[in-house]
Amino acid sequence: MSILTNDNASFAGGVHPPEGKHLTGERAIQPGPSAKELAILLSQHIGAPAQPIVKKAEAVQAGQKIGECQAFIGAPVHAPAAGKVKDIALQSHPVLGRSAAVIIETQSDTPPTPPSFVRPQGFDPAAYTPEQICQAVREAGIVGMGGAGFPTSVKIQPDAKTPKETLIVNGCECEPYITCDYRVMLEWTDQVITGVQLAQQACGASKVFIAIEDNKPRAIERMKASLTSLGLAAGIKVVTVKTKYPQGGERQLIRAVLQKIVPTGGIPPAIGVVVSNVATVAALADAVINGRPLTHRVVTVAGEGIARPGNYYVPIGTPVQALIDHCGGLGKDSARVVLGGPMMGLAVADLSTPITKTGGAVTVLTARQIGRKARQTACIRCGHCLRACPEHLSPTKIAHAVKSNRMDLAVQYHVTACTECGCCTYVCPANVDLTGYIKTGKIYLARQKKKMPA
Amino acid sequence: MIESVPQNISVAFAPHIRKALSTQRIMLDVVVGLVPAVIVAGLCFRLHGLLLVGVSVLACMATEATCNLLRRRPSSLGDLSAIVTGLILALSLPPALPLWTAAIGAVFAIAIGKMVFGGLGANIFNPAMVGRAFLTASFGILMTTWTVPARIDPTMPAIAPTNNIMDIRTQATPLAWSKMAIKDENGARIYNERHPWWPNLLGEEAGSLGETGTLALLLGGLYLVIRRIINIHIPLAVLVSAFVFAGIAYLISPDKYVPPLYHLSSGALLLGAFFIATDPVTAPLTVRGQWIFGVLIGGFTMLVRIAGEYPEGFMYAVLLANSVRPLIDMFIQPVPVGGVPHG
Repeated sequence: MSILTNDNASFAGGVHPPEGKHLTGERAIQPGPSAKELAILLSQHIGAPAQPIVKKAEAVQAGQKIGECQAFIGAPVHAPAAGKVKDIALQSHPVLGRSAAVIIETQSDTPPTPPSFVRPQGFDPAAYTPEQICQAVREAGIVGMGGAGFPTSVKIQPDAKTPKETLIVNGCECEPYITCDYRVMLEWTDQVITGVQLAQQACGASKVFIAIEDNKPRAIERMKASLTSLGLAAGIKVVTVKTKYPQGGERQLIRAVLQKIVPTGGIPPAIGVVVSNVATVAALADAVINGRPLTHRVVTVAGEGIARPGNYYVPIGTPVQALIDHCGGLGKDSARVVLGGPMMGLAVADLSTPITKTGGAVTVLTARQIGRKARQTACIRCGHCLRACPEHLSPTKIAHAVKSNRMDLAVQYHVTACTECGCCTYVCPANVDLTGYIKTGKIYLARQKKKMPA
Repeated sequence: MIESVPQNISVAFAPHIRKALSTQRIMLDVVVGLVPAVIVAGLCFRLHGLLLVGVSVLACMATEATCNLLRRRPSSLGDLSAIVTGLILALSLPPALPLWTAAIGAVFAIAIGKMVFGGLGANIFNPAMVGRAFLTASFGILMTTWTVPARIDPTMPAIAPTNNIMDIRTQATPLAWSKMAIKDENGARIYNERHPWWPNLLGEEAGSLGETGTLALLLGGLYLVIRRIINIHIPLAVLVSAFVFAGIAYLISPDKYVPPLYHLSSGALLLGAFFIATDPVTAPLTVRGQWIFGVLIGGFTMLVRIAGEYPEGFMYAVLLANSVRPLIDMFIQPVPVGGVPHG
């Protein structure tokens, strides 16, 4: 079967939540707020946290490395702006609760403006060796910006045992509301394409796809046109995939684009596939060509609970509060602030929580949206969760096993195969927080294995 | 110190939005799906038919409310499941059944069929079928007195709760005819010549309140499938397996056994396939499990109809399949997309 016939490819299961992209989709990337204080978390990635290499009261330059990580799976962090280290202290972290951060008092009031990226004349990725690219990516602290935060240098480095044959660049952005990747594809098209070429050069993939959901026709068109004008359309294919959540989940995307299945518990490189987000490859191009570390990112501020939604170029470490203030503050009926989208995003109560490398959105939801079904009722075994589950699990069985503290049963029902996409909870007519129980179950399991404290 | 925690901001696990689908909505759709059958019951059996439906529904709701009070639990009437049970029970009753008998069946269905297990979602057996089984065991004659539908007998409006049951003109159901035919070798052919299967579609045959309007049941079933309240697997498994078993019998001896379509369009098969066997609480979760479940029901129903003493066996088939449902769910589990991991 020809790869070219894969348009409107998809996977089985999934849901169709309201997209909500009209709020910010056609708003160009604007400079974000210039916060007085930036809190750079030392753990913004999967793997060992970075260690601070600056001291309190030390002056730092924009782009200076302030946290270093020796572990193989890890990434350094950098100062987004010049200023003084105010403190190295615990700070609210979207995932870890409280975590160490370098707090920088900034000096300038100029709003952060995206540097213009110029694709070098006659750019040839072969001028860089894979080692050079990986080294530059590692030094720039680039991690998966789509959400998981896996260090990109580890992901794209060549592997002699299982060669990385295929590179899929993920421009699906299947989460409702979020449009930061869409804007990056529209406005930084050349940078994305340059990054794609460099990532391909690094990992040695022979086939490259850029996958975009069919609700972003302008991005598809722009990407195809740019590839054609650069003469790269033969090597880099734009694949249109069906708009469905979680199309951008890498396991689902690989299934849709390649009809390949990543084994349960395995990762894409095990079948020779690398999946990377469009914002990540854009950052990669900037790091390799201009030596610029990852210190800023595009963040979508959206949702019905915010006055002026939009897409902003934001220094990493900016408190959520500053972004919300920049967008007109919380509305009267705002009820939940989510880092990320409404399906997988993390709710935060402390608005001093800083933006991280992985946080592409701040979504503010209203009381009406989160309280549609207030009470949990009994499971009637309707099976909607089984049909929605993109991994073909039995969410209700796992959730009820966890609820009854039967971890043996939860394991038997493959609790660890869950990708926590949230489809089951979304559809559940009884409003059972299936994903919540499953996440809880995974924590129980981790504690059992590592003897983690309770 | 956490300084910037605004009021009215809550946290919870993702996802933060929910689909507008509730248990109440599902049950409401089932009620809507049953409306055509209730209308046909009214057309065929007039006021008494509708009274039976009303009494059954009200008795179910009252029983559920009482049980909630006794258990000191919040009212669960809002989920509308009591109404569904009441409707299905009523539609499975003989049309001239005294109202008090229907009420007893409804009380038993909800109290013993559902609430003693812990309410909706916890019951093992289909509550309506539990109620009906209790009535069949307790009031054998009343439960097998089949009134002629009004379309055939215009004096039907005379049926009223005050009437003596002996005064009512009754008629054997199509399945009773077929049973007689089995016992009397050549009967099926003689009966078939006079009785094609298609009058069953239009409610011109005797039977339970909701059995007679086959077309109405198909309409309601189709509605549920289109609305994705039920999936097609269970009804398909029940009907296909019943068709196959009836077909085998018919091929062996067409003189003795009625044709398969005759079986499908009579008795409780259609009502059951779309509305009773599909009760999610008492049916398996997986598609493979649903097929096993449906074939069990279709097969057992036909076993009773063809080889058993009773003319109809759907109720027993459902209760039997309900009892093995936990086993089916234990053995038939979905396989993860990426396969079962080793170790």
